[in-house]
Amino acid sequence: MTDDAGNLSIDFLAGFTIFMIAFIYVATMIPGLLIGLQSKTIDYDAVAYRTGVILAEDPGMPFNDPQYGGWESLPNTLSSNVLRFGLALSKDTPNILSPKKIDRFFCETAFVDPPNSEYPNYYRSRAVFGDYPYQFNISLKIDGKNSTRSIGDPLPDGYGYSRRVVKIKEESSATIDGAQLSMSPQFWSKEPDAGNKSAVDLGPRIHPFSIYFNYTDLTGNGPYYNSHAYQIDPISPLDEGVTINLINLNKTTRFGSGETTWGDPDTTINLTSVIITKSWMTPYLHTRSSFATVPVSISDNFYYVYIDGNTTPLTSFSPPYNNITNNVTLVIPPGATTGLNFLGGNDPSTYMNVTLQFGLSRGDWFLNSTKSQPYRAFVYNYDPANVTQPQLRDGVLEVAVW
Amino acid sequence: MVDEGGQLYTIEGFAAGMIMLFTAYLVLGATSVYTPGDTHISDMQLEQIGTDTLRMMNTPVNSTTESQLQDIVENNNVTAAAIAFNTTFLNYCNNRTGSQTDNLHYWAEVSYRNKTDGNTGSYYLTSNRNLTGSEHPVRVTEWTLVHKTLPLGAPYSPEDRAVLVEVLLWRD
Repeated sequence: MTDDAGNLSIDFLAGFTIFMIAFIYVATMIPGLLIGLQSKTIDYDAVAYRTGVILAEDPGMPFNDPQYGGWESLPNTLSSNVLRFGLALSKDTPNILSPKKIDRFFCETAFVDPPNSEYPNYYRSRAVFGDYPYQFNISLKIDGKNSTRSIGDPLPDGYGYSRRVVKIKEESSATIDGAQLSMSPQFWSKEPDAGNKSAVDLGPRIHPFSIYFNYTDLTGNGPYYNSHAYQIDPISPLDEGVTINLINLNKTTRFGSGETTWGDPDTTINLTSVIITKSWMTPYLHTRSSFATVPVSISDNFYYVYIDGNTTPLTSFSPPYNNITNNVTLVIPPGATTGLNFLGGNDPSTYMNVTLQFGLSRGDWFLNSTKSQPYRAFVYNYDPANVTQPQLRDGVLEVAVW
Repeated sequence: MVDEGGQLYTIEGFAAGMIMLFTAYLVLGATSVYTPGDTHISDMQLEQIGTDTLRMMNTPVNSTTESQLQDIVENNNVTAAAIAFNTTFLNYCNNRTGSQTDNLHYWAEVSYRNKTDGNTGSYYLTSNRNLTGSEHPVRVTEWTLVHKTLPLGAPYSPEDRAVLVEVLLWRD
């Protein structure tokens, strides 16, 4: 008789085959079980949310570099030092964005400095994050501006999305009306024989008009508990700029009559120099001699002077380019290595004086701050009567990730 | 005679397969419980937009003006206040970077502490759609400081008060 021990029966083979087919079928279904838990849509939304929070609520890293200030001020050669983008002014002002950071962030070429930085990988590792190479599109619309700024790829059909309502800080400015100012006793220009018709017949005169920046006051006594959102801050990392418009210089108000009228047409006006001085003394004690001259020239691009609406800044004080008909605009731009921050030595105890010297062909009533007390200057401060305070402009920031 | 101990039969293999398939069916069905994540995300996005909107309405444009939210709540002309809130709120929360705007709906009220009895009082501010109960709104709030008499019409002089602006926000 044959020994059957160890043989497989037909019955066993059929049962085992059915079992294995069912087992393989179920095993192949297991990866599908996790689809609901690892939805790409959810992941994309979460990444977009994270990027939106980083951009709208964070000032980025570095935000207080000792030499350059914020990441937006780092030169291209140091772009690898940027660890994280962030558009907020500071940690204390979520949703209030810095225009400097916006300009830098939405400039694709600003960080192109291989091998340190390459668009768009540079943005992925500093704004989007994550191991997966997400595609992104980040856009910002500012009310009152014609165009929407954006960076990234065109939007596909489906993507993760986050929208933030924001405000963008605009820098302060001052518009000084020559006619108005000459009516104010503190800005009366008084020639030696002022009041007499003969005063205008005097020889050439220099009329200085000074603008005074008290950094201690600007950085320490801002409105709303010195909030960065409303501060005029010349110091790094915000290092904002200022614009000062002197308008209606061809009009004047004669002393005594109070009547606004045209200046004497025979009087010609030239901008002969811009002198920048600074001091660290208590403002009430300082005299002009206590101020040290900051050795910058008009060709150094630390400030810009535009005459009569000309869009090209003045490059020298030589005639006829410095001849003024109506207005002068002085722009001191923001920036860690230029502008008010640099001119003041990035020192919050600076008192800075910017003096525009006007050369008049002969004695005349004219814009002149030498009678203004106590600083003999137009004070750039938080008085809304003098200075148009920083404004917050509405905007919306959208982040799409896929 | 063949010893059949330890052998599987066809019917047993078939039964085992059916049990596995039935188990897989149950597990697949059960995972649907864990996937309402999309709803959660859209709620979060709405909350984000609503919170941002109220926060920006409560941020003055410059240092010499009050915030829009403060102006609206302080306005004792309820009609004018409702119109101003409606315009401002929708401008903010429907604003998008593209040419198309969003289409959100809201219902807003103001809550405050009643000094007379110490209870919390509230009054309806405005809405752009009535709540029917079928919506799925999110709730966003913002504290703001106002100089106002509360409750409305009470025989007090206006005084500095902290009030809570509450908004229910939803999308069709």
